[in-house]
Parts: sequence; C-alpha cells; structure tokens
Amino acid sequence: MSTFSGLNTAGTALWAAQRAMDVTGQNVANANTDGYSRQRVDLQSVAAGAVPAMWSTGQQVGQGVNADQVTRIRDAFLQVQAQGSHSSVASLTVQDGTLTAVQQAFQEPGSNGIQAQLSSFWAGFGDIANHPADSGARSQLLERAQTLAAGIRSTNGSLDQQWGQTRDSLQALLTDANATAASIAGLNQEIKAATQTGLSTNELADKRDQLIMKLSEQIGASSVDMGDGTLNVVVGGTTLVAGGTALGMELTGPNDSRGTASAPLVIQTRPGGTPLRVGGTADGDLTSMTSIIPGYQKQLDGIAQQLATQVNAAHQTGYDQDGNAGGKFFTDGAGGGTAVTAANLTVALTSTRQVAAATVDPASAGGTLQPDGTWSAVSSDSNLADTLFQQRLLGTGADATYNSMITGLGVQATATSTTLSAQSVISTNVDAAVESTSGVNLDEEMTNMLQFQHGYAAAGKLVSTINQMLDDLMNMVQ
Amino acid sequence: MITRVTQRAVTQTSLQGLYGNLRAVNKLQQQLSSGKVISMPSDDPTGTNKALLTRQALSGNAQQTRNITDGQNLLATTDSTLQSMVTGVQKVRDLTVQALNGGALDAASLQDIATQVTGLRQTLLGAANTVAQGRPVFGGITSGSTAYDTNGKYVGVGDGTNPATAVNRRVSDVEAIRADITGPEAFGSPTSGKDLFAVTANIAADVGDTAKLRGDLSDLDAVLQKMTTALADVGTRAARMDAAAQVNSTQQLNLTSVQSQTEDIDVAKTIMNLQVQQNAYQAALSATAKSITPSLVDFLQ
Repeated sequence: MSTFSGLNTAGTALWAAQRAMDVTGQNVANANTDGYSRQRVDLQSVAAGAVPAMWSTGQQVGQGVNADQVTRIRDAFLQVQAQGSHSSVASLTVQDGTLTAVQQAFQEPGSNGIQAQLSSFWAGFGDIANHPADSGARSQLLERAQTLAAGIRSTNGSLDQQWGQTRDSLQALLTDANATAASIAGLNQEIKAATQTGLSTNELADKRDQLIMKLSEQIGASSVDMGDGTLNVVVGGTTLVAGGTALGMELTGPNDSRGTASAPLVIQTRPGGTPLRVGGTADGDLTSMTSIIPGYQKQLDGIAQQLATQVNAAHQTGYDQDGNAGGKFFTDGAGGGTAVTAANLTVALTSTRQVAAATVDPASAGGTLQPDGTWSAVSSDSNLADTLFQQRLLGTGADATYNSMITGLGVQATATSTTLSAQSVISTNVDAAVESTSGVNLDEEMTNMLQFQHGYAAAGKLVSTINQMLDDLMNMVQ
Repeated sequence: MITRVTQRAVTQTSLQGLYGNLRAVNKLQQQLSSGKVISMPSDDPTGTNKALLTRQALSGNAQQTRNITDGQNLLATTDSTLQSMVTGVQKVRDLTVQALNGGALDAASLQDIATQVTGLRQTLLGAANTVAQGRPVFGGITSGSTAYDTNGKYVGVGDGTNPATAVNRRVSDVEAIRADITGPEAFGSPTSGKDLFAVTANIAADVGDTAKLRGDLSDLDAVLQKMTTALADVGTRAARMDAAAQVNSTQQLNLTSVQSQTEDIDVAKTIMNLQVQQNAYQAALSATAKSITPSLVDFLQ
C-alpha cells in the first residue's frame, strides 16, 4: 500500500462528488424541458488489484470511486406504450373534430337546417292547397323549393370543403413527417458513431425519443431498439426508418370526396409504393376522408334522390295551372330525375303556373282543348297539393330518412368523443407514468445536492487530514 | 401504483383536472347563454331526434292552423249566403202562394208579382255567384269567376256531366274537411231542369196559370228543402272545423311545451350546476396553487 494512495482515493471522491453535482445541475436545469430524461451518475467503488503484483504483501483496500458512467433513466416499455396511446388519441381527436364539423354543416336542430327547409317546403304545398290559383302561394312554394335545393347543395358543398381541407392538412402532415423521419435517421447515425467512440448520447437519445413520439402522433409510428444504439421506426408493420436511412411517404388517390367511391386514398412509401397502415393524425384524416365525410354525403345524396323521386312521382300525376300534365319538380340539373345527388339537386319548374296542384284533368272540369293547344277551362282543384303536403309524414320519406341520419350522426359523434375522452385519460396516465420514471423531481435533486455536498466536504476533510498526517511524518525526520 | 412523483407530473395531472373543470364550466355557460340544451346532435342524439320530430309536427300544425282559419272563413261565407238565399226563396214562395190564392187579383197585381219574383231571382242569382277568396263559393273547382251565368245556367264544375270534386281543407294529419258546396248540391240539379233558377224563372212566367203554378210551388218546396239540407250540412261542417281548431290549438300548446322541454335549458338547474361547477373549479385552482409552489428548495437555508 502506497503512502499516498489515501490522497488518490480522496481525489476520486472529490471528482465523483463534483461530477454528481454537475449531473444534478443538468437535471435541475432541465426540470421543465420537454422530453428530458433525468440522468444519474453510476458511482462504482474501485476495487483493489485482484491480482497482486509479484512480491507484494499485505491486504489492500479499494482504490476509491469511479464516476465515469452517466445513465439516462428511461423505461423502454412505457415509451412504446406512450407511443401507442398518443397515436390513438391523435387519430380520435381528428375524427372527433371531423364529426363536429359535419354536425356544424348540418346546423341541426335549428331553424336554418335542412329539416326546417323541408318543413317549410311542404307547408308551401299546404298554402297552395288552400289557394291553388294564388300566384303568391305558388311563387312562395317555388322560392322555398329553391331554398331547400340550395340548402342541400350547400351542406354537401361544405362537406366537400371539409374533405379538401383534410386532404391538404394530411399532405402537409406527411411532408412534416418525412422531415421528422429523416431527422431520426440522422440522429441514429450520430448516436451510433458516438456510442462507438464512447461519448455520451443521452441528450441525442432524448431528442430522438421526442421525434419518434411526434411521429407516433402524426402517423402512428413505434420504435424498435436495434441494440447498437439505433432505433428502427415501424409504421403498421412496415419499417420506415432503418438505422441511418429513412423512407419517404406520399399520399395517392382521388382529389375529391366523390372519387373515394371508386379509387382508394392510400399513404404509401416512396420509393417502393408499399401501402402503409398508418395510425395517429394521419389515420384520423384518412378515416374522415374515406368513411366519415363520404358516408354522410352518400346519405345526403340518398335523401336528395328520395325527395326528387317522391315529389316527382306525385307531381307528374297532376295538372298545372294551364291544364298541362305536371312535369318533374326536381331534376339533376340536366333534366334527368334518376341521377339526382345532393350536389346537383335542382328545381326544374321555371314558372309558378307549372306547379301541378290539381288531380282533376281540365277535360273533367269542362275544359276543351283549343286549336292552339291551350285549354278553354281548367280545374282549380288542389287535392294534389294536399297529397304533397302530406308527404312530409311518409315513414319512408325524405324527412324520416333525414331525421334518422341526423340521429345517427349524433350517436356516432357522441361515441367518438366518449372514446376520445377515455383514451385521453389512459394517455395522460401513461404520460404520468413516463414522467414519474424519467422526470426530474426537484426534492430528490436537492437531497442529492446535499448528499454530494457533504460527500465533497468529507473528501476534502480527508485530503486535509492526510496532508496533516504527511506533515507529521515529514516533521519526524528532522 | 406510482411511487415516484415529479413536479412536472403534478403539473400535468393538475392541468388535466383544471381543463376538465373549465370545460364543464364552459359547457354550462354556453347552455345558459344560448338557452339551449342541444346545440349539436351529439349533445343528446335521442333528444335531437325528438326535437326534429317536434319541429316538423309544429310546422305542420302551423300550416293546419292556416288551413282551418281559411276553411272557417269559406264555410262562414257559404253559410251566411245560404241563409240570406233561404229568406229570399221564402219570399218567392210567399209571392207564389199569394198569386195562387189571389183569384181576385187583377192582371196588374199579377204582373207586379211576376216582376217581384224576377227581381228576387236576380238577387238570388247574384248571391249564388258570391265570391270568396277569389273563387265562386258554389262553383266547385271551376277556374271561372261565376257559378251561374246571367241566365241562371250552372257553369261551375259538378253539373252532372263533370262530377263534383270536393274542395277540402286539411285540418290535421289524418283529417281533411270539405269546405265547399256546389250549386247543384245546394240549389238542385240543373240537368233535371228544376233547380232554383229554373223554378223561379218558371214561377215568374207562370203567374196567372194556377195549374202550372201549383206544380212550380211543389218544385220550389223541393228546392227549399234541398237548400235547408245544404245549410244544415254546411253548419255541421263548420262545427267540425271549430272542433278541429280547438284540437289544433291544444296540439300546438303541447308540441311547444314538448319542444321547450327537449331543447331548452332548465334555467334554475343550470345556474345551480354552474355555481357548483364554479366552486369545484375554484377549489381545484386553489389546491393546484398550493401543491405546485413548494419544493425542498423553499426550505434549504
């Protein structure tokens, strides 16, 4: 045992306490930094030489403390769990937002919605039934029919707009996600290189974890530890980032809502063209664009078609104010009555006289057909108008279908928002668990600080005591 | 069980709680300021369905109110016209009886009676062409402006060759009441040649010819009988219309109250809830303020 080894031991203690204090400082400094994982100095006692030198005698004591390793406290399992929960919360948030926007497009229940417009349209027939010859009642009906058709078209239009905005935002999101994936690949390389040269990678790893979490929220990515310091990023079973290389992603498919019926909207890798089963916000966007919005548009199309069919069928059995047989009331804008959608529903009648209110033909009302094609007299019967007024009560009519669609929308939106709040609670809990493992507790740092302060003081005391001892030893030799 | 708790975890969970509280306060405030429980279908899907159905029924009900008022007007006009016409016909009958009994009447007096009957006939013809809401009330579904022409010939629809079609008023979802009566129904069929105007014309022509006049008188009695029946018919329908008006307004009250119950907030309850929620929010705020501030740092000298 060397005379001076005690000093060396005390030296390592001083150095270890200092390093521990540095780490404490780093922890305190980053107590509120997003994504920071607390670090800890791994103190290890330095053993005495296990294989004694030749001819050496005596029992040696340890050689002090080693404080080289600074580890990052991280639970990889919780990390993956957090990625999953953030992904589903992000997806549900988008779906919930879309359903809210769809509900806002319908404005129900209220006096501006399609239901109110339908009701006032039918009531217009009621007024005609009372006063079939009154042009005021007739033009009121035509105005209301125009309002109804415009209401259905504009509701469909706002859904189209919603779809377009969602597609744009998904496009932007993919651009951002591509950049993020490239950054992760870059960090993988840096971390690999740093690990090989034995440098600390804690802060880089934190940064990478944060980026992967962002990617989880955006596209539902999860990470796989490759063991060499790098993490692979996997999206729905397809590896997006492998070590230092990242694949790009692109959105392919139709540019408008109606196109989704024939061609699917797909996010695929570039290069490669492998379709990705994404999660997160991208999944929410895709669900909105392939199922929620087109679903409600399809139902609205059905309602427009049903309205046209039921009104046209009745209207064509009657006679208008000039004694002519009733024509189509609603068309698809090009004259047809079978290809009506919410986008093209149009009122075909151009004149108030064309509204057919009578079931009785002019011949039965004593009229005769003149050489110029007009009738000498027509009936002022209005029973057809009453029949049309009664169509609002049809169990299979446009009104009933519309009501059940709105109720269905309400149920779907409620279910989604309930799932979202449940998922949010789970996500918050997982985040709290991650935070409780990796977060900085200031009380703990303060106690560590005191502990290392005392350790440092004690080591200093040791140095000064050994110094005194050496002093005494030197003085003996006088 | 999480044993290690950090300041940030406390902050996060506190924030989560505060958000939840504030969200509830916001929702209640929104309900109070709009006065509506349901602002979106997702607030209450079943309530929304009920609200939609109620609004639909209310709209139909409002239209039926208009229909009933309209029908009542039409029937009232028909009723008063018929009553005045019955009086007129009775005068014609009196004159006819006078002419029959007046063996002692001289030719001038008989001529006078004939002139009076002709005059009364014109008045009756005018009344039979009474127009309500732009259409002759006794003309059926004619698009013309009169029910009888100047000669007393029926020109409306429903004269036998062209069957009459009822003019109805929809008074409820399941009931429509007829609001008109055609000339032939009220004054006799023109095809038989013995309707009111043919008979009165005959009387005016036959004054002095007792045998013919006797036949005319029995024809006139038949017409009068028909008119009083028509009057009773119109009165019955007016009564039905009144009853329908009662039902209609009761229904409207019920529907309005259902709508209010479905869509509107219970103000007292909502304000109470808001107060409770505000207390909870304030408690959460003060608890958060207390739990976040201290750490060991505060106690180290």
